[in-house]
Amino acid sequence: MFSAPDSYPIDLPTFHSEINLPYTLTPGRAAGTFLAEVKNRRIVASRFASGQVVAPAQDFSSTGGEEPEAFVEAPHTGVLTAFTRVDGQVIGFIRLDGCDNDFPHRILAELDDLSIGQRVEAAWDDSVEQSILAVKGFKPAPDAPLGTVKPLETMEEPLGVIPYAMKLDYEHAYGPYYGRMFDEIRENGRFMGVRSPGSDVALLPPREIDDVAHSRTGTWKACEDTGTIRGCSIINMEVYGQTRKVPYVYAEIVLDGASTRMIHVIEIDSLEEAKEKIKPGTRVRAVWTQGERKGRVSDIERFEVIEE
Amino acid sequence: MALSKVGVVATAQTEFRPAWNNAQHIDLISSVVTSVFKGSGLTIDDVDFIIDSGSDVLDGRSISNCGFLGALGAHHKEEARVEEDGLWAALYGVNKIRSGSSSVGLIVAYSKPSESNVDLYWNAQVEPFYQRPVGFGQRAANGILAQRYLAESGLSRRDLADLVAERWAAAATSGKVAIDDLPDADAVLAAEEGAAPLTELMFARPVDGAVAVLIAREDIARRVSRNPAFITGMGTSMDTHSLAAREAGRLSSAATAAATAAAMAYRNAGWASADADIAEISGSSVIGELLAIEALGLAEAGKGLSAARDGKVAINRSGGALPADPIMATGLVRLAEASRQLSQPELFGGGAPRRAIVHGAGGVAMQNNCVFTLEV
Repeated sequence: MFSAPDSYPIDLPTFHSEINLPYTLTPGRAAGTFLAEVKNRRIVASRFASGQVVAPAQDFSSTGGEEPEAFVEAPHTGVLTAFTRVDGQVIGFIRLDGCDNDFPHRILAELDDLSIGQRVEAAWDDSVEQSILAVKGFKPAPDAPLGTVKPLETMEEPLGVIPYAMKLDYEHAYGPYYGRMFDEIRENGRFMGVRSPGSDVALLPPREIDDVAHSRTGTWKACEDTGTIRGCSIINMEVYGQTRKVPYVYAEIVLDGASTRMIHVIEIDSLEEAKEKIKPGTRVRAVWTQGERKGRVSDIERFEVIEE
Repeated sequence: MALSKVGVVATAQTEFRPAWNNAQHIDLISSVVTSVFKGSGLTIDDVDFIIDSGSDVLDGRSISNCGFLGALGAHHKEEARVEEDGLWAALYGVNKIRSGSSSVGLIVAYSKPSESNVDLYWNAQVEPFYQRPVGFGQRAANGILAQRYLAESGLSRRDLADLVAERWAAAATSGKVAIDDLPDADAVLAAEEGAAPLTELMFARPVDGAVAVLIAREDIARRVSRNPAFITGMGTSMDTHSLAAREAGRLSSAATAAATAAAMAYRNAGWASADADIAEISGSSVIGELLAIEALGLAEAGKGLSAARDGKVAINRSGGALPADPIMATGLVRLAEASRQLSQPELFGGGAPRRAIVHGAGGVAMQNNCVFTLEV
């Protein structure tokens, strides 16, 4: 028999989340030169001391690790050594004439018309620069004459960095404990936790197993929407990914009835006043968002200091 | 002092489902971490360290184990995360015990690929200048391996489909994998194209789930477990990133890294594949499984299918990775399955199996490989 978590069907849909990561990729000398040279319709390859030629160019041999002795120009013709089709696009391994390695690229033909060993030639896309897709793909060229590897006397400066972005989408499941917590926020405008084993203070967010004792948690308990700051920092610096205008206070707040800290925000007008008034021990209350609650932590717009 | 021997004391796993929509990672993890102790007499207090395995990219958060520590039972314990299949986490844990620095360890691996896009997860692993833009990734790599394998072995797509159907049927029998419609070979062939010549059902099916394995020094394992399986050999080996550079086109060496890892493990154990009774093997596609069977020495190159189906060694009696591939946990599940088959043969058709081979893999087209030998 298998183990199963304490779960039941949940009304809440999954929680959609996106991660957008900006990068500046550093291609290095070989790939940087290859990518700079495609605008001249040249395929840059690496020649190693052994006489082996590898295209597209590499800074190191992928098997032996040694560095190439020179960059050379590979021909635009070669043979197809393997192929498959993914989502309707044929992808094949190509071995350019005079080269000793295979590399993957798009094949511009129908799968059924292809055979291993057949001659192919690069099809260029003039609208693309600084990408391997400047070669749109390789098309069948049964009569293409055998190309040769040539020395590369002059070449473009290698590209230094290439802007790149990776976007990842997620649909996170809430699970039974977070599911009820967010459901209670939406339906009843309250924060529900579960009691630590053998105690009356609540863990928030709720969970099946107490982190410290590693035993089953107790019954559900509603916490107040007032609490005490137990850690805070005035944020006055703009950083990537922020959702509010600076300055504001990042605060770790223990809600009344809970034992755990929840992270939220306190808005401020004056830095000096904030330094004076907002510190560990300061009492705060939640300011709920106007309008329909959505079942999110952001249904609390912010916390505000309770003036004594 | 000789190195300590390490035994598998207990295992626990959730059902593997295409999607655990009503549970999050911590729910799955705490479920297996609490149940792995049942009947063992040990508790979380006896555990010296926890090694876990999962993928930040799949989980959608950085250093995702930080948020899972409580569920893992790792509060104020030594904890480390291995960003590889859980079988490497086990390798790490076994070495900690063998060195004498610890006596009981908990190995956990988890996966929720249903929450993200598995194709993007694989794309993130390929080289970004030459490979990613042209659409080369895990599926294309397996398609190309399949084209070569079929040409060189003389097998047909129908042969592959028969094996896939058998694996799904085995998983259905085991009762540990959620299967709505059990595909027969015709259904496998009729499924959508995954990467020609493979259909989608010829690829390992990503599933959600978690697995926990409790390991301990020999004397403790013998005290708390009736018939523990001992880990007697381990090996791991990584191939070059470029699939095209991996001994292109030569089947006998298409899975060189797996063969090297197996040779290391067999050398430790002092026996070889022919002496095994059981093998639990990972494969990112049906071709991946066949290549692994051959690389582990269970069949000659191109002859993996006959060994897979009716060889002397019981291969993937659990169904293996094709019906249930909890990415990053798949290899650790193989360890759990093989150890149960050795320790409790009465639950698996009887007999007196003594030796098992366990295989895990990671990376595009199984670039990285890990092999364990188990004995009772």
